[in-house]
Amino acid sequence: MQLSSIFRAKSRPQLLALLLFIVVAIFIVRLFYLQVIRHDYYEAEALKSQQTKFTIAPERGTIYAKNGASGLVPLVLNETVYTVFADPKEVKDPGKIKDVIYKVAGGTVVEDTFKKDLLEDNKLRYVVLARQVTLSQAQLIKKEQLDGVGLQETTRRVYPEGTLAAQTLGFVNAEEKGQYGLEEALNNRLKGEAGLLQAVTDVRRIPLTIGKDDVRQPAKDGDDLVLTVDRNIQAQAEQILQAGLKRANATKGSIVVMDPNDGSVMAMANFPTYDPAQYSKVEDGSVFQNSVVSNPYEAGSVIKTLTMGAGLDSGAVNYDSTFDNTGSVKVDDTTIRNVEEDPIFPNTTMTDVLRYSLNTGVVHVLQQMGGGEVNQKAREALENYFTNHYRFGKTTGIEQAGEAEGTIIGANQGYGRNVRYANMTFGQGMDVTMIQTAAAFSAAINGGTFYQPHLVGGVRQLDGSVKPEAAKVLGTNVLRPDISAQLQEMIYQGRKQGFFGKFDPAGFRVGGKTGTSQVIDPATGKYSDKDSVGSYLGFGGVDAPKYVIMVRVLDSKATGGYEGTTAAGPIFNDMSNWMLQYLQLRPKQ
Amino acid sequence: MSEFKSSRRAFAPRAAQPQRQWRRNQNTVAFAPNAKLGPIAHTVIIALMIAVLGLIYLTQVTKTSFFGYQLNERQTQLDTLATERQNLEIENARLQALERVKSSDVAKAMTDPSSVEYANN
Repeated sequence: MQLSSIFRAKSRPQLLALLLFIVVAIFIVRLFYLQVIRHDYYEAEALKSQQTKFTIAPERGTIYAKNGASGLVPLVLNETVYTVFADPKEVKDPGKIKDVIYKVAGGTVVEDTFKKDLLEDNKLRYVVLARQVTLSQAQLIKKEQLDGVGLQETTRRVYPEGTLAAQTLGFVNAEEKGQYGLEEALNNRLKGEAGLLQAVTDVRRIPLTIGKDDVRQPAKDGDDLVLTVDRNIQAQAEQILQAGLKRANATKGSIVVMDPNDGSVMAMANFPTYDPAQYSKVEDGSVFQNSVVSNPYEAGSVIKTLTMGAGLDSGAVNYDSTFDNTGSVKVDDTTIRNVEEDPIFPNTTMTDVLRYSLNTGVVHVLQQMGGGEVNQKAREALENYFTNHYRFGKTTGIEQAGEAEGTIIGANQGYGRNVRYANMTFGQGMDVTMIQTAAAFSAAINGGTFYQPHLVGGVRQLDGSVKPEAAKVLGTNVLRPDISAQLQEMIYQGRKQGFFGKFDPAGFRVGGKTGTSQVIDPATGKYSDKDSVGSYLGFGGVDAPKYVIMVRVLDSKATGGYEGTTAAGPIFNDMSNWMLQYLQLRPKQ
Repeated sequence: MSEFKSSRRAFAPRAAQPQRQWRRNQNTVAFAPNAKLGPIAHTVIIALMIAVLGLIYLTQVTKTSFFGYQLNERQTQLDTLATERQNLEIENARLQALERVKSSDVAKAMTDPSSVEYANN
């Protein structure tokens, strides 16, 4: 049958029905193709235009310090601020915008934008009008409903305590990355993890709740760290250091106060310092560094305490040992002398070695470690104590960026080994950081446990409580407990009988040792007679040491003695006496 | 089109049901429409039902979207409040900062003790 005959055979309604059927069939086939066969493709295409992914920025962790026994105080907080921008293409009234921005956000206006009339340049799509505008200012600007003007939210770090502990804290740069100090060392803990919001949005990019593929993964905020640093001790340390440097006509110095019984740092300060809120205005980048951890140096005679500990612990000498002090000692072809004012007398005790800071005394200890002379055995024994017991030559792991390892040359390395090791007994020929020295000293006097020096004491929880973080033990038996007690007594007696004993209040147990080290002149490569570094390392408490303080003054111009005594010692005295009061220690009668 | 009329028909015993016994007083009359819905009426009804269902669906979806806007609005409020709280915390911290405390009138009025006595048990 032909097609024409079919049409003739059908009535008009039947033909119309047939036509409709064909059209509907075409639609159905097409829809089937689009919606079933090409389903995945078109779904993906649709989602591309409907769905938006938002990154939920985590809040960077805040940083708190202890405030004596009365809780915590914030050292670093976050503040939400806004960048005011404009799209010149959308701007209708540049004059009004200028008036409003200057009126509301005067101090934060980007002057160039208005000076160069960038608002009227239609080729531009984004010009910044003001930066770091506060919430209240942003609300006022928003209220004005300025065409073409938008607000971009961002955060900045604020430091309620100003410059306090600046080098310990570090700062956060424009890319929101921690720089120096804690901010850099613990950047990963502080920055948190970004969250994700994937949702169908409307034309204004407002997320709707209709998508079956919506994802809402909340951001994980950074840890709110609670430091072992006590705000009051820190402030006092900074004040005393600054006053001490002024007295000594010095410009650079550092101080660290730590608890020898768990390695927690109570204060750590350097001068000169800077304002972390205005880090970009700093001209000398070296002030960003925390010299306590990143600036190794020849610590000088403060090391004698540790050499004595090694001698006692190895059995080379004991508490009652004496030696014939002739004022000098020959090691290979080099004569090592005591400093001028040191007395020369026979039967000098080991306590006298510390009291008078006798170079010959500690070289004698080294000789005893070698069976009577400075030799390979003596060098290896001292190297073992310095590197394995006191952990010199390796970082302590304190939560600070740029911690230096220092240098301890091996017992069997290089030339002039015996002379070098003889020099090392009084802290020359080796580089150590203050934090290494203070931590080793703490271990030597606390019974022999080496606690990792640390700054983070815990993490603040949402309910305000603190989840503590335990102190880490890096080594035990640094010295035997009885030897540690003997060494502590010798250091105490050394100070008590010496020049500084008179500055300590009665009933307390304060021990310490000065150190004055020569500095190598970069021009000649030899030790300079002009410059030296003054140090003081000591402890304080009643029965047991409650704190260890180490002070360093780099460029003292004080007269009347060596820098350890004239510049660093007085700073220790001031700090130690204040600590005894602050810790409310009761003196022994 | 079918007509919606009813007719009264009497049921008579059928040959296929010879066993059925009609009892006395039993109602043997039933009323049934003699017109039935045709295919077009069915189609229209189904289309209407689909339309109603579609309407219900759209109402629900719109309602969900509305919740989305409400949620967004609440989130914005929450963020603003969090920012305000943050600002208050900062202000509080600044007011309690050591430098500020030191320069307060109370601190300025303090003096150093001339001597310290310890009470021992």
